[in-house]
Amino acid sequence: MAELEKTYTVKPRDFIRAGEVSIQIQSLLKSMGVTPDIVRRASVCAYESEMNIVMYGGEGTFTLRVDQDMIMIRACDDGPGIDDIELAFQEGYSTATPEYREIGFGAGMGLPNIKKNSDEIQVESHKGEGTCLVIYIKIN
Amino acid sequence: MKVCPTKAIRVKNRTVSYIAGDCIDCGECIRACPRGAVSAHTTENLKVEKTKTILSVSPVLYTQFGPGYAPHEIDAALKSMGYYDVYDQCEMQEMFNVAMELYINENRKNKDAPWPLISPVCPVVVRLIAYRFPSLLRNIPPIIPPRELVARESKKNAAQRYGIGEDDINVLHVTPCSAKMISIKDPLVVKHSSLYGAIGINKIYNDVMKHLRHVADIDKAPHSSGIGIGWCMSGGEIAGMEDGNFLAVSGMQETIQYLEKIEMGLLGEIDYVEFRTCAEGCIGGPLTVCDKYQAKHTIQRLVRLFGPERTVKCGYLKQLYKKGWYSSDREAGPPVRTQQVRSIADAIERQKEVEKIHKMLPGKECGVCGTPNCETFAEDVADGKATVEECVFIKCFKNNTEKKREGR
Repeated sequence: MAELEKTYTVKPRDFIRAGEVSIQIQSLLKSMGVTPDIVRRASVCAYESEMNIVMYGGEGTFTLRVDQDMIMIRACDDGPGIDDIELAFQEGYSTATPEYREIGFGAGMGLPNIKKNSDEIQVESHKGEGTCLVIYIKIN
Repeated sequence: MKVCPTKAIRVKNRTVSYIAGDCIDCGECIRACPRGAVSAHTTENLKVEKTKTILSVSPVLYTQFGPGYAPHEIDAALKSMGYYDVYDQCEMQEMFNVAMELYINENRKNKDAPWPLISPVCPVVVRLIAYRFPSLLRNIPPIIPPRELVARESKKNAAQRYGIGEDDINVLHVTPCSAKMISIKDPLVVKHSSLYGAIGINKIYNDVMKHLRHVADIDKAPHSSGIGIGWCMSGGEIAGMEDGNFLAVSGMQETIQYLEKIEMGLLGEIDYVEFRTCAEGCIGGPLTVCDKYQAKHTIQRLVRLFGPERTVKCGYLKQLYKKGWYSSDREAGPPVRTQQVRSIADAIERQKEVEKIHKMLPGKECGVCGTPNCETFAEDVADGKATVEECVFIKCFKNNTEKKREGR
């Protein structure tokens, strides 16, 4: 089956380049003729997970895989991991520092937003080892 | 070729061509080309009977002759050129501001409304969204832009006043904008345009100069407030709105960057974004004569002269709004598909092919092949629109290896 896979790296705390990977993914999906609403949902997911790595994670690897039926985004990092995954999915819950909140982050909508815009989401996280977030969006 | 935001221009065999479906009429190429290889399509070539033509003037025209000439003197000059009547857009722009406030307030209660809303005024922005950000079409409120309202109402008024049929009058828009003609022929924010055509400020400028006279003391000039004049520059539209969280962005690259952000779900806390793809706003339009910074200077003088206060009556406008006087007969759109329709499987194969070709290329982005950059060239090759030997580096490399092989 035809399949396209691309990997990107995301640097933690690099706010200058934050969001660039998502923009690349957004324009790649567009140039492939993926329908507008799917592109929008995929780019929301990509952006939120990219920002999670930038703000909380460690060295990050971003993978985009597209096949006939599905877009998969895998965002993995070797950061501190998530304490309580269930809590992290609650709207309004955030561990953002006051500094992050000051620049407009930390509304506690990151993971809930990804959940809302994806068809399936898997999180694997181990304390001190890192987090792996896998997002699936159906194309048709 | 390189300034085109949709990569629509190719230069082959010493001639410039463009991919018709990709052009959004932004005018970046008109501004950039020193040889005038590109010009905007406007109405001056069409035969118009001046005595049956009303001019609807973009206030940008008032900024082109310096602060010494008042809007009504410029209107008088236009009239003395033989046109039936001349309408100023300024008042309508204030009225539009009120309508948009009402629309925002109405929708604020509804949390599902797509925020931020995007101004329907700049036709290039609307086209850019339809081509490259179709998921944001629903952020454009179905409120008719001032130029269309002026055209519709001025026809109605003239018909009433002079007892002629609305169809016997044409309304021409005097404009700094290269996209007005396409927005009249193929409007994306209304079903049918009330305008007949558009005429570039640069085509009418010399004629106006010839007819320009001081007619009265500038301070006593009758005019609506400075809000409408201020609309010509970036930030002017939102300056006319009260109470809200507004943002103004100008310039092509900046507009694209912000649209990308909005598509990623950012800026949801903003109510309304005024986008203008020309730097500094409409005074930076490709069909202007006066430099945009000089024009800005004139605007600031005129705004001071006419004052920043609203002159229109909100109560009456609220009634009009409720009656649907401002409402467009269509939602913005439809989305324009510029790519060839192909299945995802084909798109994946093509993307792989594009990347394979791209890797062979030198990445110098020189443009000698007649394509704006290496990536676009790779796409053209993958689509069979170009051959890889059109790249001078590849051709050179190939020739050299052939020569070596022949032992020379």
